[in-house]
Amino acid sequence: MGSEALVRKLPNDIGGDAAGKIERVEHELLPWEKRCHALADVLDFHKIINTEEKRRGVESLGSEMIGKLSYYERWIVAFANILFQKGILTPGELAVKMQEVEARYTTPETSHHG
Amino acid sequence: MSDHDSSHDHDHDHDHDHPHAPITADEKPGYYDVMETAVRELLVERKLFGPDEIRRQIEVLDSRTPALGAKVVARAWTDPDFKSRLLANGRSGCEEMGITFYDDTQLIVLENTPDVHNLIVCTLCSCYPRPVLGLPPDWYKLKPYRARAVYEPRAVLEEFGTHIPDDVEIRVSDSTAVIRYLVLPMRPEGTEALSEQQLADLVTRDAMIGVIPVSYLKEAA
Repeated sequence: MGSEALVRKLPNDIGGDAAGKIERVEHELLPWEKRCHALADVLDFHKIINTEEKRRGVESLGSEMIGKLSYYERWIVAFANILFQKGILTPGELAVKMQEVEARYTTPETSHHG
Repeated sequence: MSDHDSSHDHDHDHDHDHPHAPITADEKPGYYDVMETAVRELLVERKLFGPDEIRRQIEVLDSRTPALGAKVVARAWTDPDFKSRLLANGRSGCEEMGITFYDDTQLIVLENTPDVHNLIVCTLCSCYPRPVLGLPPDWYKLKPYRARAVYEPRAVLEEFGTHIPDDVEIRVSDSTAVIRYLVLPMRPEGTEALSEQQLADLVTRDAMIGVIPVSYLKEAA
């Protein structure tokens, strides 16, 4: 067996696997999670990333990231990767924009470091 | 203008009694939160979609709750012609009731009977009839439900407190990106005198996923 199971089943393909008890967990989406969901829908409406591409994008994150990232964390990372693959964005552009967004929250007045 | 308040500027009747962290303008957002903002802003700058589209879609998402599915179920219980049309084409049946499908999905409505109990799942991810039920609960998206529903549905149902007798067939339908399912639960006994709205009030999200039946407890019992 060993590595064969990895070839036969990609990380998303868990139907039929052994698994634990169902914990009936729910949570109200955080604002960014809801925006991420809306972003997914809008990307689909505009035929930029459809649902199946999103699912494959999550799958291609690999089992370690799938295991460690939360649901919408996986989505946004998958979207970024797909947008890079399609040549719509580059990793450099995203890094610069993320710094710019973060800088909006790191002005001295709002720093709580004592 | 911040998007942080965009999920709260609607006037839908909305269950909001969950505690959640207060959202303050100067709270430093997390890495993935920043990534979402950055991706969205870059795509808007490239004019791939308009800045208001995300806000409008959040309003659409907030407007979709299991109450819509419940209305469809109650109508199917009370109008046999509607039920036939709904079972023939779930999407057009829902659209008849004014429920728009904002995504490119088809809907198959699965009728529970004394002989057949239906359960829906998405083993690969989290496909769900969002236009009629809203967003799925977390447990629907997590491994235990997705992995086990397809091979031991009776044990899964027992964990939800639902016992399906051995002589009742259980059918598990695995959703895809383009085909979604909705369970039409059995109408409980003793509800003959209820109005369509009163019937709809009995129908829960979990009953339309198929993990519990619709129950009706008479006050006078």
